[in-house]
Amino acid sequence: MRHALVLMVAALFAAPFVYLLGRNLGEPGQFIASLADAGLAGSLGRTLLLGATVAAGATVIGTAAAWVVARTDVPARTALAVLLALPLVIPSFIGAFALIAAFATGGLLERLLAPLGVGSLPSVQGFWAAAAVLVLLTYPFVYLPVAARLRGLPADLEESSRTLGAGAAATFGRVVLPQLRASMIAGALLVFLYTISDFGAVQLLRYDTMTRSIYADRLFDTTSSFALGLVLATVALAAVAVERRVARRERRDTRREVRPLVVRLGRCRAAVATATWALVALALAAPVAVLGWWAARGLSEGRARTGSAIADPSSLAGPAANTALVSVAAAVVAVAVVLPVAYASARRRERLADAANGVIVGGFALPGLVIALALVFWALEAPGPAAALYQTLPLLVLAYVLNFGALSLGSAQVAVRGVPGSLDDAARTLGAGRLRRLVTVEAPLIAPGVAAGAGLVLLSAMKELPATLLLAPPGFTTLATRVWSASEDSFFADASIAALLLISLSAVLTWALVIRPARSMLGSDL
Amino acid sequence: MAATALLAGACGGDDDAALVVYSGRGEELVGPLFERFQEQTGVQLDVRYGDSADLALLIGEEGDRTPADVFYSQSPGAVAFLAERDLLGSLSDETLGSVDAALRSPDGEWVGVTGRQRVLVYNADEVDATGLPASIDDLTDPEYRGRVAVAPGNGSFQDFVTAMRQTRGDEATEEWLAGMAANDSPNYAKNSAIVDAVARGEVLMGLVNHYYNYRALAEDGDLPSRNHLFEDGDLGAVILPSTASVVAGSERAEDAETLIRFLLSSDGQSYFAEETFEYPLAGGVEPRAELPPLSGQELPEYDLGRLSDLRRTVELIRESGLEQ
Repeated sequence: MRHALVLMVAALFAAPFVYLLGRNLGEPGQFIASLADAGLAGSLGRTLLLGATVAAGATVIGTAAAWVVARTDVPARTALAVLLALPLVIPSFIGAFALIAAFATGGLLERLLAPLGVGSLPSVQGFWAAAAVLVLLTYPFVYLPVAARLRGLPADLEESSRTLGAGAAATFGRVVLPQLRASMIAGALLVFLYTISDFGAVQLLRYDTMTRSIYADRLFDTTSSFALGLVLATVALAAVAVERRVARRERRDTRREVRPLVVRLGRCRAAVATATWALVALALAAPVAVLGWWAARGLSEGRARTGSAIADPSSLAGPAANTALVSVAAAVVAVAVVLPVAYASARRRERLADAANGVIVGGFALPGLVIALALVFWALEAPGPAAALYQTLPLLVLAYVLNFGALSLGSAQVAVRGVPGSLDDAARTLGAGRLRRLVTVEAPLIAPGVAAGAGLVLLSAMKELPATLLLAPPGFTTLATRVWSASEDSFFADASIAALLLISLSAVLTWALVIRPARSMLGSDL
Repeated sequence: MAATALLAGACGGDDDAALVVYSGRGEELVGPLFERFQEQTGVQLDVRYGDSADLALLIGEEGDRTPADVFYSQSPGAVAFLAERDLLGSLSDETLGSVDAALRSPDGEWVGVTGRQRVLVYNADEVDATGLPASIDDLTDPEYRGRVAVAPGNGSFQDFVTAMRQTRGDEATEEWLAGMAANDSPNYAKNSAIVDAVARGEVLMGLVNHYYNYRALAEDGDLPSRNHLFEDGDLGAVILPSTASVVAGSERAEDAETLIRFLLSSDGQSYFAEETFEYPLAGGVEPRAELPPLSGQELPEYDLGRLSDLRRTVELIRESGLEQ
């Protein structure tokens, strides 16, 4: 029964991979030719280099940020906890554009610094620019699960360590870090997969990765795009397999009613607060400031086109409601679908569960365009009633689930692993049935981790673009599609207003659906 | 009302179903025009907005099961992809005849709806307008080294290079591309990124489509970016059409053409001229006052709708080393 469930989930998530394989088998000669192409090695190398660099940077920053909000007495912790998660909702095409406008030659920062006698800033492009922008947009993939893990960790070990005379740094390195290792590695993997599938940032910052080539070739050399897509999928599956090997299982039990340790920062409090707010300034405030500037500029120039967001702000109400609807649906469905796999793969090593884990996590590295085309193919090939799903919301939600299910799986696995077996045994001894044990014993323990994963799905679905454009019912627009189409046509005021609304909506949803439930569940003061 | 809609949905035959448009041009740009069409004709539209290339791939994947009746594309490249796969129907002579022969498909598969002119955008604070180049060929001179931004991966730039190949042949085109590459022409992702960089002063000039700068100026009149038009007849001033097509096998081909003719009517064309800053191509409508008039200009004929041609163009651009 459980096997059948895991098998079904695995088959579902394998669908885009099978589609890619099929597209390449149709023209095997072309696939081999693409592989032999002299450009592939360079393209692959650049892709891996960027992915690894961004993953490393995001892991360091995300973990540090998580520790600060979950373990210290830094001021305004609750506000920081929400704000630090938000860069995730900034679509990379607009985030990169805004960061260029903020920090490049002649940008906003240069204008602010000009009275101080600071000269021209350099242009923002190439490897380091792409890496920096992507780190700022992706560190929440590490921050959210690590913060959730920290909140669930009992403080007694850390307290003992401090009592025995170890400083905050030593305690963090020797006691805390080993317990966060799995969450950090899982987060780093997500950042890596996001980076290798990103198009928006690498396109604008002009760093040539495989995904950029997939897009550049898609009309003129479709077979080569599909071949590169398959290579990308292979890289993703290999990365997932590596992660499964290196991530040692955490056997530390999660408990309810955790009394979290608060590290008094003392003299360092101001410095830590400054550093954390600096991160918020770079990753969130800078792009938001640019968006606000564009919006204000457009408003004051006031040439209100018919149908523009300036002329009629209420025209964004529908897209906002649509965005909330599909992203919440995607988060709920994703969690429901991956939980059986989380259970099957968290405790035992099973080949089937490993395979399911591979395709679910690997799906995060597939460009949205590939997921969309795969679902078009399968929906139209599907017999009878399934074909009726074509161009309906359920199919769009399925696309989000296949693309972002990975985001909920990692934290669900960590959460499931944290449920002490002894607790379950005790409940069983007392005669509690499986369902009752699940609801009364396990659910409260795994809820914060699961909510963090759901939050990641939610934020990613809110900004999703290629699949939304191709699979949504005609006329169904989201805030992300409005941001994209306005910016594509250089209507930056309109794009900015929609983007600011998207960011605000994500803040509300993150707070209401992720942070608040986790807080009440744990009874902590965060 | 919901019940009425439900009833209409349940009882209506195919005739009552909406006409499906795949639009590679954004909702902000053309949404109001589609609204006007629905009000005037009573024909309901279901519009899917997206990137032209992605929508072409979508129709390619859907094949003969596509729900699309009309494909409205930002550029001829995406149309070429569909034409090669025989996924486009033929337009009537009447529709085709409403625009200049240079701006419609020789095979009747697409018709130009609006014109985008290639221009040189420059920063008026940094560059003396009197010394601007007369021709695209001046840009390979050493004096323009590092000064002229290009977007080699962008469809409009590629279309311009295709036009050059069809006028001068591959060898001369390769020479020009090599000259631009040797001049270290800075690369950008797309037109809007070039206009933005020129306005910030990051690069002095750039090759773009004309309307991006007008839209940028509409949002911030203080920007120093200005358009410079290459002299009459220069390849650098080529007009690139946005295009409309009927999708092959559409059961609503007649309504589809009605929509396309509406886009080409004086009503539709005035909308484009006023709201999108583009060149009207039909209906006797004049472009906005800021734009130099097209009438009287001899338009050379290019066929930008062949995929094999565009493929070769992309190869030449890549081989030239212009793409950094």
